[in-house]
Amino acid sequence: MNSIQLTNTLPDVFKGRTDIASDVWLKDLTFEKGKSYLIEANSGTGKSSLFSFLYGYRNDYQGQMIFDGHDINHLTIQQWTEIRRNHLSLLWQDLRLFPELTAHENVKIKNNLTHFQKKSTIDNWFDQLGIVEKKDTLVGKMSFGQQQRVALIRALCQPFDFILLDEPVSHLDDTNAAIMADILKAEAKDQDAAIIVTSIGKRLDLEYDFILKL
Amino acid sequence: MRLVWKLLKRHISIPQFCGFLIANIVGMTIILLGVQFYNDIQAVYNSEDSFMREDFLIVNKQVGTLSTITGKDNSFTESELSDFKSQPFVTKFGVFTPSTFRVRAGFDIEGMTNFSTDMFFESVPDEFVDVDKSEWLFHENEHSVPIIIPKYYLDLYNFGFAQSRNLPKLSEGVLEAISIEININGNGEADTYEGTLAGFSNRINTILVPESFIDYANTRFAGNNTQSVSRVILQVDDPTDERITKYLQDNGYETDEGKLDASKTNYLLKVLLSIVLLVGLVISILAFYILMLSIFLLVEKNSTKLENLLLIGYSPTKVSQPYQILTILLNVIVVLVSVITVLVIRKMYLRLFEDFFPNMETPSTSSMWIIAIGLCVFVSVVNFFVIRRKVLSIWRSKK
Repeated sequence: MNSIQLTNTLPDVFKGRTDIASDVWLKDLTFEKGKSYLIEANSGTGKSSLFSFLYGYRNDYQGQMIFDGHDINHLTIQQWTEIRRNHLSLLWQDLRLFPELTAHENVKIKNNLTHFQKKSTIDNWFDQLGIVEKKDTLVGKMSFGQQQRVALIRALCQPFDFILLDEPVSHLDDTNAAIMADILKAEAKDQDAAIIVTSIGKRLDLEYDFILKL
Repeated sequence: MRLVWKLLKRHISIPQFCGFLIANIVGMTIILLGVQFYNDIQAVYNSEDSFMREDFLIVNKQVGTLSTITGKDNSFTESELSDFKSQPFVTKFGVFTPSTFRVRAGFDIEGMTNFSTDMFFESVPDEFVDVDKSEWLFHENEHSVPIIIPKYYLDLYNFGFAQSRNLPKLSEGVLEAISIEININGNGEADTYEGTLAGFSNRINTILVPESFIDYANTRFAGNNTQSVSRVILQVDDPTDERITKYLQDNGYETDEGKLDASKTNYLLKVLLSIVLLVGLVISILAFYILMLSIFLLVEKNSTKLENLLLIGYSPTKVSQPYQILTILLNVIVVLVSVITVLVIRKMYLRLFEDFFPNMETPSTSSMWIIAIGLCVFVSVVNFFVIRRKVLSIWRSKK
């Protein structure tokens, strides 16, 4: 997947509003592979909705979203499964981890599906992000900041052309945020993938090619 | 898959599944036992007479003293026959065609005794004779005729004649291997045929030969002078139908009441069995419903987990699998336990049957197995698709 194109898109909930001044909504915009994007937004401007649309989770919008020339509204379940496994990774704002599994199991459940990362790489990330001793702790018993790091590792356990991160460092200290940025950069570079990050305040420290206002 | 199962097994209600298991085992056992018992009981009936089905009735006009004295004809008129045929309870209708030529038959037993007697033949339409169609054939060139004789003849010989003369008793099997010499003459012609016993009947008090033989022989040896019909054979849907008894009485016809009773017993057995099967089926359907409700509840309670699995790249097929495997496993357990229960119960009642009917052939359990496996496959396939649909509905719910 080389490009994600947005044509005149707008969430249905904003329909009829005339005060929309956004670099994304109601514009023609293309995200390209290999580039990095920061989308800055105020709360309630549709940041999480944008990612839900792009990930095929919701389709309550007008306009078009296009992956490599294909309108995503016409993708089949099989195609979405393939895209979510091999082309598009998403770190949800609410993480969507399984609280009844341990940190390590949450990562494994994804890697078992893709067999993308080596065990040593995963262990190394746990170590770098300072949660190695929490590997066998149930996610439900971890702090949100720790959970964010587990969710990042899980998001990296698949091949991707685009990685979407919804406020990935909202609950992280600067040191861990920087480590996270380094890991992400290295992985994206390896795969020549695009990084699209949203932020409502604290931003992930990367050299962004584009900064957009939502 | 282990981790997926670890997630999805949450909220599985053991009591609910036990409830389903017990209810379905009971339902399935009743169904399978009903089927197997019916097969076994049919074998008892068939061992009585394998040539005539129980729902056939043989009807003739009453022979009264007056008719003997006056020489009144005892045969059916054309209009009586067509009226009978058109009765709503009659599903098949045929007449007895008697031979109108002279027949003399004889056979040797171990070279000791030569039996020879005048006799007669009759035929009914072949569809009423329940023997292998390839055996029940007469070929003009082969000079061979299959015969069914009343079982009483054999009893008469074995328990009367052979007993008093110190002759060997004969089994049905031995007699079926003996050939009978049949001499026929009439119309200025004579011929000899070889008769083979196709079997013995308790139902018909006559010597039956194929209809084609009677037609051929009547033409050749009797010039085909048409005979009046004095007995008819018919098949009815429901032997307990009161209209039958009433019709017979009103017209002064008679039938073998004992056979009618046997037919009634068999018919009642079928009705009883249908009720039993229905009860089993209702229990099974309810059990199936419990299982579906449990699975729906499970999917509903685990919907967030299922949704998240779908969002991290698991396909609906893969996510449905654990629940599909679970239901299939439950269905297999149900069928296995039910079949084993049926086989155990069957063993017990067969022992009783054998005391009453020592000659009874034990029927196979294949139809019970086929129904068991068929139901298991059917229910599993339905479960399979219902679960998949339910998971797909989670995929679509947010769209």
